[in-house]
Amino acid sequence: MVTESHVRFDDVQVSYGSKVALQDISVEIPRNRIFGIIGPANSGKTTFLKCINRTIDFVPAAKVRGEVSVDGKNVFRIRNVYNLRRRIGMVFPLPVGLPLSVYDNVAYAPRRAGLRDRTQLDELVEKCLRQAVLWDEVKDRLDQLGTKLSGGQQQRLTLARALSHRPEILCLDEFSIAIDPVTTMKIEDVLLELKNEMTIVLVTNLVQQAHRLADHTAFFNASRLVEVGETEQIFSDPKDKLTGAYVTGGFG
Amino acid sequence: MSSDSLTSARPVRQLCYRLTEWLIECMIRICGWSAILFVFAIFYFVFREAAPFLWGGLDLVEFFTSPNWRPASDVRPQYGTLALLVGSLAVTGLAMLLAVPFGLGAAIYVSEFCSGKLKEVLKVVIELLSAVPSVVWGFIGYLVLGPIIMNLTGAAVGVNLLNGGIILALMSVPIIVSVGEDSLKAVPDSYREAAVSLGASRWEIVYRVLFPAAKNGLLAAVLLGVGRAIGETMAVLMVTGHAVQIPHSLVDPIRTLTATIAAKLGETVEGNDHYRVLFVIGVVLFAVTFVVNLAADLVVKGIRSEKQS
Amino acid sequence: MKSKAEFDDGGLRYFVLARRGTSNGSHATEGLRTLEEALIEVGQRAGATSENGEANSPIEIMCDRADTDIRLRGRPRYDFFVDAGASDAGGEGTELQPYQGFHSAVEGLVRRHREGRLPLDRGQHLRLSPRGVFAPSQLERRKKIRETIAKYVFMSMAIALVLPVIAILGYLVIKAWPVLTPAFLLENPQNRMTAGGIWAPLVGTFFLVAISLAAAAPVGVLAGVYLNEYARDNWLTRLINLAVVNLAGVPSIVHALFGVGAFVLFAGMGRSLLAASCTLGVMTLPVIITSTREALASVPMSFREACWNMGATRWQTIRTIVLPNSVSGILTGVILQVSRAAGETAPILFTGAVFYVPVADHGWEAFLPYGLGDRCMALSMHLFTLATQVRGVSEEIQYGTAVVLIGLVLAVNSVSIGIRSYLRSRKKW
Repeated sequence: MVTESHVRFDDVQVSYGSKVALQDISVEIPRNRIFGIIGPANSGKTTFLKCINRTIDFVPAAKVRGEVSVDGKNVFRIRNVYNLRRRIGMVFPLPVGLPLSVYDNVAYAPRRAGLRDRTQLDELVEKCLRQAVLWDEVKDRLDQLGTKLSGGQQQRLTLARALSHRPEILCLDEFSIAIDPVTTMKIEDVLLELKNEMTIVLVTNLVQQAHRLADHTAFFNASRLVEVGETEQIFSDPKDKLTGAYVTGGFG
Repeated sequence: MSSDSLTSARPVRQLCYRLTEWLIECMIRICGWSAILFVFAIFYFVFREAAPFLWGGLDLVEFFTSPNWRPASDVRPQYGTLALLVGSLAVTGLAMLLAVPFGLGAAIYVSEFCSGKLKEVLKVVIELLSAVPSVVWGFIGYLVLGPIIMNLTGAAVGVNLLNGGIILALMSVPIIVSVGEDSLKAVPDSYREAAVSLGASRWEIVYRVLFPAAKNGLLAAVLLGVGRAIGETMAVLMVTGHAVQIPHSLVDPIRTLTATIAAKLGETVEGNDHYRVLFVIGVVLFAVTFVVNLAADLVVKGIRSEKQS
Repeated sequence: MKSKAEFDDGGLRYFVLARRGTSNGSHATEGLRTLEEALIEVGQRAGATSENGEANSPIEIMCDRADTDIRLRGRPRYDFFVDAGASDAGGEGTELQPYQGFHSAVEGLVRRHREGRLPLDRGQHLRLSPRGVFAPSQLERRKKIRETIAKYVFMSMAIALVLPVIAILGYLVIKAWPVLTPAFLLENPQNRMTAGGIWAPLVGTFFLVAISLAAAAPVGVLAGVYLNEYARDNWLTRLINLAVVNLAGVPSIVHALFGVGAFVLFAGMGRSLLAASCTLGVMTLPVIITSTREALASVPMSFREACWNMGATRWQTIRTIVLPNSVSGILTGVILQVSRAAGETAPILFTGAVFYVPVADHGWEAFLPYGLGDRCMALSMHLFTLATQVRGVSEEIQYGTAVVLIGLVLAVNSVSIGIRSYLRSRKKW
């Protein structure tokens, strides 16, 4: 059982000053599956993701208790946190294009890790852009500034960047907010393929998206983990009343 | 997948890189603390030269209250700076009297009544005005304004309180305009829009909405102008004359604290009382401008905490 | 039922006057005996003229003797407003709530008259003006006038600042004109400063500025990086910020005293180019720190977060994204300090600048005249001594020195402003 889980939270509590963002979180995220997280706003979903790749460190007043482990190792005890972050890809809701060319945007992470060979970089950039369903739109203008792309394109560029450092875990936080439905569908197809290569943690406010994509789903509410289980079970036969109310659109 | 060239690259190289980065960040930290270091250093070194006389022999009461300044006297040196203090205050006061209305008026004009090309041009001109070196202002006051004052008022010399006040005003105006304009710009547009929808004209917006909202920033602008005027050296040295006396009229020559130091430091022998008392004046100047700048900073912070609450 | 009697109430009649077009002359009708009849006449007129499009001019009812020349005198006793297009009923005829159409106006006025609230004596008149919905009321017109006055008052204040200074600068250039030649810049001062050029001071200023900025710029930029990128929000940071603000406000003569105490005496540099440069460096430090910090802060936080999420370290992020995108702001700040260092006199007066040092006229020594331990000449100091301490210097040389100094400073500042606006137009996000 332990060898199956990729990420594991043990009794985790996160607070910002006096405000509690997460409490009593204990959950295991299995390998090579899509793990969906649903719940209303401010229920702690983004904080959860930030704990996995330790970007919670950048939130000034944050205090974390409990253990978060990736591959059995406690992330808060890892010495080289940058290696950890390179093993995890993160896509946030608001699209961000770095003020570099599209090519340099995707080549950023590999270059920082020391990859200099031009041919290898070219290959990597193309592969990631294809996976992010962006290649066809930008292949002729790879030197255009990333900040000048449209919102939807920048979001896919963010996805390409996240894939560029070959992560084991891909976290997506409400990625489809700024993208049109057609592109969203294309990316969802990509995610379904990618889960063979990596574990995917998908936070979404679109309940149906979780239903479509996730193998397991967790329902967060008011900084607590209310229920977690196989997606089918969560949606058709939830154990908790709140879960049932949320997935049928009752609130949030 | 996780163990490809990207994450497990050449550990030696990684180590080298981490070491360099650690060194660079150390340097950055040290440079960051340097500002504190220099402020203390300035105070320390000025105080160090002043200290022997300050503790041993200087009559502080006489220093602050007596108008008799005769440090070079062989018979009985006197170190009363009252006339110098009054001189500094008088020329600063006169300068502010002239600069504040014009400065704030110009700031209001540039910020509220002006737009497009004209605004850009005016802002650039005012910025260039603030770049004119103080020795050039002194030159202008001495050679150009002095004779004008003599002609217009029949004064005996052109270097006096009035000259100093006008020149200092011209020097302080740019900072009042730019800080004032910044604080007017910082008033949210929503205030202006609300006033317009209630039918206010631009003038009414200025004195009913903007002045109250920006008063802290405008006050800070004036304080910064005062700070600049009190600390000004070369210009006042050249245009206020060399009379250590309490002025009775606008055309009396005076001398400020700053000019005294500048005029005499080169003539004194290192280590003697005259030399040291100049450093004491330096300590006083440092303290005064420290307080004024602190006040301006607190006033500005007052706005920020108001805005957050 | 009106009797056509000869006598009436004192011979007073009511005349309805409507202006035609823009003429002030009125088209007087026969006087009517009562105000009420006049009002009815107004109603009929308004109905008739509305098709001609003349309904935009006011209609007056004048009370006067039957046989006098009818002329409107002064302001009307009553000023009522009609708005043909007003949508809400119940207006009282005031400017802000006009009568809705002429018929309601007439009705309203007749009612008032019957209630005795509309007395009109001889020589007085009543005016009924049509009013568009967006036409400015009198109050608004007054406000507009006040606003225009305010605008011109403030504008004249701004001009009063700018014009005299431009005039003065022009005057300086005119007086200096004969001497402004390349030779002036390249020759050394001669004959006890009363003749010759300003080469030695010019070179001296150049070296002073170069060395002081070589020292201050790296420290200032790195300090700015620390404050914006690394510093947490604690008491230490607040203290540093306070220190920067106060450092910026220290009077230049106190910098001179510090330079003497710290560099000349304590560090043993003696009065030298090095000591003077260090003093200038400390003086320019705070502004470089502040402008670097502002330039860095203008880079959006989201860029940094994107990089951190990819595993980049803080310094990598700064080196690859933040610094390259704030170079323009940093450069502007540094260049501005160049001009300031070139113009300052007090900090170098006692720390290394002197009035006269013999400098070679030709050869490479003319370009490198001062060693780090030597005293040097400087343009700002040169101007000071020429103007106040040397007898017999021609006016042109004095004005010429001033013009070169100002020109230098303004040129450097303009370069900085130019860089700033050029880079602003090429914003990357």
